[in-house]
Amino acid sequence: MVLTGTVLTTSRRILLGALAGSAALAGCGVFDGDPEPAPPPDSFQPLLDEALALAASYDRVIAAQPALAARLTPLAEDHRAHAADLARVIGVTVASAAPSVPVSSAPAGTTATLRKAEQAAQKTAVAACKAAPAERAMLAGSIAACRATHAEALR
Amino acid sequence: MTEQLAAALAAEEAAIYAYGVIGVHLTGSDEVSRARAAELEHRARRDALVDRIDELRASAAPAPAAYRLPFEVTDREGALKLAVHVEDGVAQAWRVLLPVTEGEERIDALSHLTDSAVRATRWRRIAGVTPLTIAFPGRPG
Repeated sequence: MVLTGTVLTTSRRILLGALAGSAALAGCGVFDGDPEPAPPPDSFQPLLDEALALAASYDRVIAAQPALAARLTPLAEDHRAHAADLARVIGVTVASAAPSVPVSSAPAGTTATLRKAEQAAQKTAVAACKAAPAERAMLAGSIAACRATHAEALR
Repeated sequence: MTEQLAAALAAEEAAIYAYGVIGVHLTGSDEVSRARAAELEHRARRDALVDRIDELRASAAPAPAAYRLPFEVTDREGALKLAVHVEDGVAQAWRVLLPVTEGEERIDALSHLTDSAVRATRWRRIAGVTPLTIAFPGRPG
C-alpha cells in the first residue's frame, strides 16, 4: 500500500510538471500563430434546436394521425415562430440552423410524447431565461411560457 | 424596476376586480371554482408586490377607486372572454419585469407570466376558443 501511494505521488508530480511546462510554452507565444478557435455556440442555440425539433415532431404526429391536424398545427406554428425569432437573435438563418440529426427518420410519437417533450423544453427555456442578458430575457421567457401552454393544451 | 413592479401591481389589481365580475356570470361550479382560485392567486401576487414595492421604499400609484372593463360583460361568454383578456394583460405586465430582474426574482416573474399564460389557455378551452395558445405569451399583440 505504501509503495502504491509513492508511485501515485510521483506520477502526480510528473503530471503537474508537464502542465507547468505547457503553460510556460503558451506564455512564450509559441501558439500565437494558430487560428482563433471557433467561437462557442450561442447560448440560445439549444432553444432553437428544440423549437425546430418540436415543430418536426408535431409534423410527424400529424402525418401519422391526420385527424389531429386541426389541434396540433397551431402548436407547430408556434414553434416555427419561436425558431424564426431565435434565429434572428442568434444571427443565423433557420435553414442553416437545422439540427444536425435528421429527425424525419424518427418514429412518430403521440400527444403524450409531445407533452413530455414540451415539458422538457420548457425547462430548457426557463434555464435560458434565467441566464440570459436583459435584452434576451423576454424572448426566452415568452418561449418558456408558450411551451407550458402547449403542455396544457395537450392534456 | 419600481415602474415595472407598479405596472404589475396595477395589472393584478385589475385582475382581482375583473374576476369578481367574471364569477357572477359563470354558471358551472367547476368554472366558478376556477375563477375563485384564480382570484386568490392574483390576490396573493398583489400582496407580494405591495411588500416588494414597500421593501424598495418606492411608492406605487394608489389603486384607482373604480376600474373600467375593456368591454361590457353580461353573460358567460363575455365573462370567459374577459378572463382570457385579463390573464393576457397580467402576462404582459410580468414579462416586462424579466429584463429588469435577475436570478430568483426573474424566475418568480417568469413563473407568474407562465401561470397567467396557462390560465388563459384553460379559459380559451372552456370558452371553446381556438387556437388555445399564442406563440409569445406576454408580448403585446
